[in-house]
Amino acid sequence: MALVRTMRDQFDWGLFVTSCAIAVLGVVNLYSASSAAGARADIYIQQIYWLTLGAGVAVLVVAIDYRNFERNAWAIYGAGIVLLVLVFLLGRSIRGSTRWISIGGFSLQPSELMKIFLIIALAKYLHHDPKTEGRTLKDLVVPGLILAVPMGLILAQPDLGTALICAFIFGSIMVLTNLKLRSLVTLAAAFVFSAPLTWAYLLKDYQKGRLIAFWSRLTGNEADILDTGWHTHQSLVAIGSGGVAGKGFMQGTQNQFRFLPDQHSDFPFSVWAEEQGLLGSLLILGLYVFLVIWGLKIASQAKDRFGAVVAVGVSAMLFWQAIINVGMVCGLLPVVGMTLPLFSYGGSSVLTTMIGLGLLMNVSMRRFSHA
Amino acid sequence: MLLSPRREVGEFRKRYKWMALFAVIVFSVLIGRVIQLQLVQHDEWAARAQENITKTIPLPATRGVLRDTAGRIVATNRPSYLVYVTPQLMTPEHVDLFADLMSFDGEQRRNLERRLREVPNRRRTHQIEFYDDIDREQLAALETHQNELPGVDVVARPVRTYPYEELGAHVIGYVNEVSADDYVVYATPERMEEEQIALLADILELEGDARRELVAKLSERSRESVEVLRPPTPQQFWRVFSAAGALPGVELVAEPLRSGRSSRGEGAEESPYRPGSVVGRMGLEAWGERFLRGRAGYRRVLVDATGRRQMIDPRLARSREEHRGPQPGMDLVLTLDMELMNTVKRAFAGHPSGAAVVVDVNGGRVRALYSKPSYDLNGFIAGLSHEEYHELESNPFRPLIDKTLYESYFPGSTFKPISALAGLTMDDFDPNARVECIGYYEIGTDRKRCTSAHGEVDMHDALVQSCNVYFYKLAEDVGLERLNDWARRFGLSQRTGIGINSEASGFLATREWYEEHYGRYRVGYTLNTAIGQGNTRATLLQLALAYGALGNGGTLWTPQIVESIREPDGTLVEEFPTQARRDLQVPEQYMDLVTRSLFGVVNAQNGTAYDARIDRGVTVSGKTGTAEISPGTPRTDIDPERAWYFNRSHAWFAGYAPTENPQVAIVVIVEHGGAGGRAAAPIAMQVLQEYLGNQSTTAAVTAQAGGRARPGRGG
Repeated sequence: MALVRTMRDQFDWGLFVTSCAIAVLGVVNLYSASSAAGARADIYIQQIYWLTLGAGVAVLVVAIDYRNFERNAWAIYGAGIVLLVLVFLLGRSIRGSTRWISIGGFSLQPSELMKIFLIIALAKYLHHDPKTEGRTLKDLVVPGLILAVPMGLILAQPDLGTALICAFIFGSIMVLTNLKLRSLVTLAAAFVFSAPLTWAYLLKDYQKGRLIAFWSRLTGNEADILDTGWHTHQSLVAIGSGGVAGKGFMQGTQNQFRFLPDQHSDFPFSVWAEEQGLLGSLLILGLYVFLVIWGLKIASQAKDRFGAVVAVGVSAMLFWQAIINVGMVCGLLPVVGMTLPLFSYGGSSVLTTMIGLGLLMNVSMRRFSHA
Repeated sequence: MLLSPRREVGEFRKRYKWMALFAVIVFSVLIGRVIQLQLVQHDEWAARAQENITKTIPLPATRGVLRDTAGRIVATNRPSYLVYVTPQLMTPEHVDLFADLMSFDGEQRRNLERRLREVPNRRRTHQIEFYDDIDREQLAALETHQNELPGVDVVARPVRTYPYEELGAHVIGYVNEVSADDYVVYATPERMEEEQIALLADILELEGDARRELVAKLSERSRESVEVLRPPTPQQFWRVFSAAGALPGVELVAEPLRSGRSSRGEGAEESPYRPGSVVGRMGLEAWGERFLRGRAGYRRVLVDATGRRQMIDPRLARSREEHRGPQPGMDLVLTLDMELMNTVKRAFAGHPSGAAVVVDVNGGRVRALYSKPSYDLNGFIAGLSHEEYHELESNPFRPLIDKTLYESYFPGSTFKPISALAGLTMDDFDPNARVECIGYYEIGTDRKRCTSAHGEVDMHDALVQSCNVYFYKLAEDVGLERLNDWARRFGLSQRTGIGINSEASGFLATREWYEEHYGRYRVGYTLNTAIGQGNTRATLLQLALAYGALGNGGTLWTPQIVESIREPDGTLVEEFPTQARRDLQVPEQYMDLVTRSLFGVVNAQNGTAYDARIDRGVTVSGKTGTAEISPGTPRTDIDPERAWYFNRSHAWFAGYAPTENPQVAIVVIVEHGGAGGRAAAPIAMQVLQEYLGNQSTTAAVTAQAGGRARPGRGG
C-alpha cells in the first residue's frame, strides 16, 4: 500500500503525459504512414503492441528502486556485451548489416538496449568515483573503455547511428563531471584527427555517398538530387509543402504517394510535418524540448550520483536522437539511420526508449526517498 | 538496506542549466529550420510536391498524310511498337524469357543485361524505353506472354512511312526528331533574381563579356522574354533542362522552323514541340510542317513515386486529372502524279544520273520532279548509320542533291528559243535571212565551233538543226543585255517561288560581271550566252516553266506543288489557285515561228530529236541540248579513271506536248549523257507517250488525222 501511495504522491505526471503524447501522436502518424499504397498496413498495430510491451517493462523498471540497477550494473552491462557478441553468432543480416537476433518470433536489436546498459555502467562508474577535482585523460581511460567495447562491437555490425549515439551519450555524461580543459581539448583533437581515418577505413561507400550528398546540398549544388540526395530532397519537399496548417491527416501526397523513404522508422517526422504543418512540427519539437529539460530537472533533483548520471544519460539519448533524426530529415545533417524516440516505428527502439523513460521516472519518484 | 549509499551529487548541480541552455539552443536551430521550410519557403516546396505527383503524358497528334493529285498516298504513318522495360521487375527468369521472345543472340542478350545493370537505382522502378520498332514476330511473342512479363510493356507509336521509297525523295522530304539544335533558350528578366541570372550564366558556362552581356540583358526589368541562346549545345541543353525547377524564368522552346517568333509573353501559345516529337526536315514535309503536325494533346495524371498512375482520392492532389485530345494534322494534296513519276523512273533506266521535271502548261502545276539517283526516305526515318550517310554523301552521282531545283546547269541549246525571240522582237530582224554555217564561226582570231557544217540556214533551220553559227551571228546583233533580258522574262535567274528546298535561282552573267570576274568583257561571252553556255545557269524547273510559256503562248506560271490542304476527313481547308507570274507579251507571229521550229526539232527529218520521236504517238515539240561541262574546270574530286565520264556533256531535252493542244511541259537532263537528241529526248518521248498517250488519245488521234505540218497552238 505504501508503494501505491508513494506512486500516487510522487508520480511524475509531466514525464508521463509528455511521453504518452509523443507515443500516441506517433501511432496516429504511423497509421497515416502505413496507409500509403503498398506499405505494410499493420505497422501501427505492431507499434501499439511494442508500446504495450514497453509500458509493461517500464512499470517493472519503475517498481524496482534504481539503486538495484546500480548494484547489478556490471552484470547488466555484461549481459549487453554478451548480446552484442551473440548478434555476430546468431544474427540476421538485413541490407548488409547484422543488427538483429530473433527471440521467439521477435527481432531484437541489442545495440539499442546497449545504450541504456551503457548509461547504467557509466553511472555506476561515476557513482563510485566521486572525484570532484578536474579529470585528466588518465581518469577517462576506464569510462572510455566502458564505451569502447560496446561501441566497437556496434560499429562492426555496422550500425553507425547507434554507435554515434553511444559516443554522444558518453560525451554528455562526461561533460557533467569536472573535465579538465586539457582533457576536453585532447578529446576534441582526437575526434578531429580520427575523421579522415574514419572516412578512409570505417565508412562504407553508401555512407560516404550520403556525406557527399549532404555536403553538396550545403554548398547549394542540387545536381545530385536524383541520386544519393534523393531521400533528403523528398523529405524537404514533404516538410516544406506542409506549410503552416499542414495538408491534413492522411492527406500528405509525399507520404501517400510513397515519395518518402522509410517513412516509418527514419522519416516519420516528415510525414507528420507534411500532414500537420508547422503547428504540428512545433508541437512535436516542443514535446521533445520539454522531455529533455524535464529529464535534466529530474537529474538535478536526484539524490545521488548514480540517479543523476542515469537521468542525464537518458535525457542525452533522447536529445541526441531527436536532434539527429529531425536534423537529418530537415537536411541539416547527413542521412544516418536514426529513430525518433517513441515516434518512430521499431520494437527495439520503443522498448529501449520506454526503459529509459522508466529509469527517468524511477529517479524522479525516488528523489524524496531518504533511505 | 542492501542498496549502496547515496553519493554526493552537488558537483553536477551547476552544469544542468548549461546543458538545458545547450539543448534549447540546438532545438531552436531545428525549429528555425522547420519555420524556414514550412513558412518561408512553403510555396516553392509545395510546387515541388505538386510536380512530384503530376505527370503529363503527351498524346502525340497524328501527322497529316501527303497524297498525290490522284489521291495516292505519298507519306503516311504506320504503327511501330516500342518496348518499355521496368528494370525492378526483371528477375533473371524474366530476362531469360524476354531474350527468348525477342529471339536475341548472345551479343544482344549481353547488351540487354548490361543496359539493365546500368540503370541507376532511383530509376529502376520506372518504365524505360529499351527497344523501338520491334518486328511482327517479336510483337506477337511478347503479346502472347504479356502476363508472364510484368516488367515489359509494349507501346504503339506512329512512324512516318513513304510507300514510294526513293521516288521523289527530295521534294517529299522527311521528318526526324527535334534535337538540341532546334531549341532556343529564352528568359524573362522580370522573373529572374540576381542569383538566378548568375546560376544561368554558370549553367551555360558563360565567361567574360558573354557573361556580362547576359547579366545586362536580364537585369532590365522587362516582362517580355528575351532570347538568351540559339541554339544551345547538347550539354547546355541538358543542364538547362535539368535545372528547370531552379530557374522558373527560363524556358526552352523548340523552334525547328527557324521562323521568327511573334509576340511571346501574352497569350503565347506553348511550343508544339517537346523532346521526342518529330518535325519535317526537307521538301514538302518541312513546307507543310505547321499544317501537318497537328496539335499534340496531353493527359495529366496523378502518379506515385514509381511513376505509376494512382487511383487514390484526387482530393489529395489538389488538382484534377486533365485530358486534352490531340488534334490530328491536316493532309496535303499535291499536284504531283506519282504514276508519272514512276514512268519517268522507268524511262531513266540505263542512265545513272539525271533529272526530269514535268509541269502543267496551263497553270504551272508540277506533275513530276524526278532526281536520280535518290535515296529511300524510310532509311532517313529509321536513322542512317554513319557509313550509310557517308556513302550517300560521297556517291559521285550526288544522290543527296535535288537536281530539279537545287542544282542549276548550263541550259545549252535549250536556251536557243529564248535567243531566237530576243532576235525576233528586234526591229529590222529578218528571221528568213540566211546565214552560212561552215562548221565554225570566226570572231577575231577565235574560231567557235558548230556541231557540223549546216550550210545556209534561216532561224527555223537553225533551231531545228541546232546550228550554233546562226546564233553566234544573232548574238552579235542582239547583244548580251537583250539576251539576258529575254532570259529574265522567261524566269531565268529568278527563283520560281515553288517554296521548297532552298531553290536555286540560276544565273545570268552581265557585262559588269564579266569585267569584274574575267578582267574584261569579250564578245565571245555573248556568243556563248546565245547557245546556253557562257555563264548562264538554269534549274530544270525554270526551264520547264519557260517551255510551258512557249507552249501556252506566253504565260509564265508560278509553279504549284500543293493543290489543297484538307482535314483528315477530307474537308477542304484551303485550295490553292494557279498563279500566273506574267504575260511575256510575245507577238503571235514570232511565237508561231519558234513553236513551229520546236515542232520541227522532233518531227522534221533533219530535226535533232527526230530519231527519238514516236510514230503514231503524241506529237511533241521541243529542243535538244548538249551542254558542255564548265570547260577548263573538270571535276577533280573523281578518280581519273572515270573522269572521261564526268567530263562528258549533259544531255538535255525540253519541250511540251501535245503540240496541238499543249498540256504539259517537260525538261529532261541526263547528266553526262552526251548528245541531247540521243540520250535525253527518248526519255522525254517515252514519258510523254505513256502519260499523254493513255490520258488523251483523242488529242493524238486528232493530230494524226489532221496531219498538219504546221500545227497550231491550242487555246
